[in-house]
Amino acid sequence: MQVIDRYAYANAIRQVDPAQKGGLALVALLLCLLLDHPLVSGLSIGWMLGLAVGWARLPGRVVVQALVAQALFLLASTLSVALSLSWGGVAPRGWAVQIGSLWLSSSPAALQHALVLVARALGSAAALNFLILTTPLVDLIDLLRRLRTPEVLIDLMTLTYRAIFVLLESLERMRVAQEARLGYCNPHRAMQSSALLISQLFIESYRRSQRLQESLESRGFQGTLRVLPNTYRHDVWAWRLGAVMVASLVLARLTR
Amino acid sequence: MTILVEWEDLVYHYPGGVVALDGASLQLAAGQRMVLLGRNGSGKSTLLRHANGLLRPQRGRVRVAGQPLDYARAGLNVVRRQVGLVFQNPDDQLFSASVAQDISFGPMNLGLDLDEVRARVAEAAQMCDVGDLLERPTHALSMGQKARVALAGVLAMRPLALLADEVLAGLDPWAYEQVVAIFDRLVAQGGAVLLATHDLRLAERWADVVAVMEQGRVRV
Ligand SMILES: Nc1ncnc2c1ncn2[C@@H]1O[C@H](COP(=O)(O)OP(=O)(O)OP(=O)(O)O)[C@@H](O)[C@H]1O
Ligand SMILES: [Mg+2]
Repeated sequence: MQVIDRYAYANAIRQVDPAQKGGLALVALLLCLLLDHPLVSGLSIGWMLGLAVGWARLPGRVVVQALVAQALFLLASTLSVALSLSWGGVAPRGWAVQIGSLWLSSSPAALQHALVLVARALGSAAALNFLILTTPLVDLIDLLRRLRTPEVLIDLMTLTYRAIFVLLESLERMRVAQEARLGYCNPHRAMQSSALLISQLFIESYRRSQRLQESLESRGFQGTLRVLPNTYRHDVWAWRLGAVMVASLVLARLTR
Repeated sequence: MTILVEWEDLVYHYPGGVVALDGASLQLAAGQRMVLLGRNGSGKSTLLRHANGLLRPQRGRVRVAGQPLDYARAGLNVVRRQVGLVFQNPDDQLFSASVAQDISFGPMNLGLDLDEVRARVAEAAQMCDVGDLLERPTHALSMGQKARVALAGVLAMRPLALLADEVLAGLDPWAYEQVVAIFDRLVAQGGAVLLATHDLRLAERWADVVAVMEQGRVRV
């Protein structure tokens, strides 16, 4: 999370309107889902990686690593689609390996099915990666506000996002304090200390919410968290590039 | 000499029975630099919280610019643009992950137009020397930087009286001098500053008036 955050703030297109970045990512994501073909997904992954590295100037290693991690996770979870287990004396159709009285089998159709699933999911993941690695959450919230999302949701997101970091900090502080007093010297103590930590964290977040309320009131809180909208830059050629991307994805689907 | 904030014989018990104020009286006049000293738990923060109506005393009265505090919504809105309160812990005040947006919150609530708000954010940021932090996420700031952002968020509302709770703790000597200079400027413009602190050097060197709190009462 801290890593994502770092890149979201420090990339070449941080100042580009989130509507533009979000638009591109959303179009890629929708095409992956609608056209639903491994070729389209592969091409879209290529586009997203290209935009992340070429346009946003993110280090290629980071973008690829993120995608590989997701790919491994996806492969593991589609294993059950590609492979099937069965009992009994007869060998299932397709390829099969016998382990005792168990048959572990697969078939071209099952593999194809798994491939489609992985490709579709990975294509969508690449699009979302592009968005979250180039756009800080405050900009996304800003975008949602422009799209007339109800104020309550916007305020909740603002407060929650900030609270995550404040609470992580106090969690770390309390843990170090316990550690320094040998709170985790054996499993039993560790258990007790963790329980104490959790209950303290609850009290702490409650107190913080009260103090936050007071400080917001002091600055004239009127019921909603009104703040200055950000100003962004528009990259005209990025729209053109987006059009080329859409065309290429649709063409790829038509030629199959 | 106009009295900007006046606390008159305040008594306040926290729910649970702690007597935090027990007949506290104090006056803060325009052009005054005041330091409020006192042991931990003597009631300094509680006293400050009464100045803009966050807490309502069980006995006694608070006046701002001569007017008894009106605890209805509209009245509080007026008082909160006159009295700025900076809190002990900046993490309690900074609610947004964007420094610029956090500073803009107060001016937005004043109902100013966007250009005016932008100007105020820039001005307050420049005053507190956080201009280069505006695009940074709040959680990536150090404690001293957060303290200055919190101060900027209150200064952007251009309060008449600035009451600050321990804002100088945790600042490096350079930032410390800078913040003290900001206070001086506010006073020179006819405002008033009250600092609750444990900093005896500041009380000696800078303050016009030193008030000491002890068990819920103030001695000047
Ligand atoms: N929210 C609260 N609920 C109950 N009691 C409180 C609360 N806040 C403060 N108190 C109590 O009221 C008394 C005065 O507290 P206050 O915070 O005003 O002291 P302070 O002078 O600001 O102390 P410090 O120098 O530690 O900041 C203390 O005894 C404290 O324990
Ligand atoms: Mg205090």
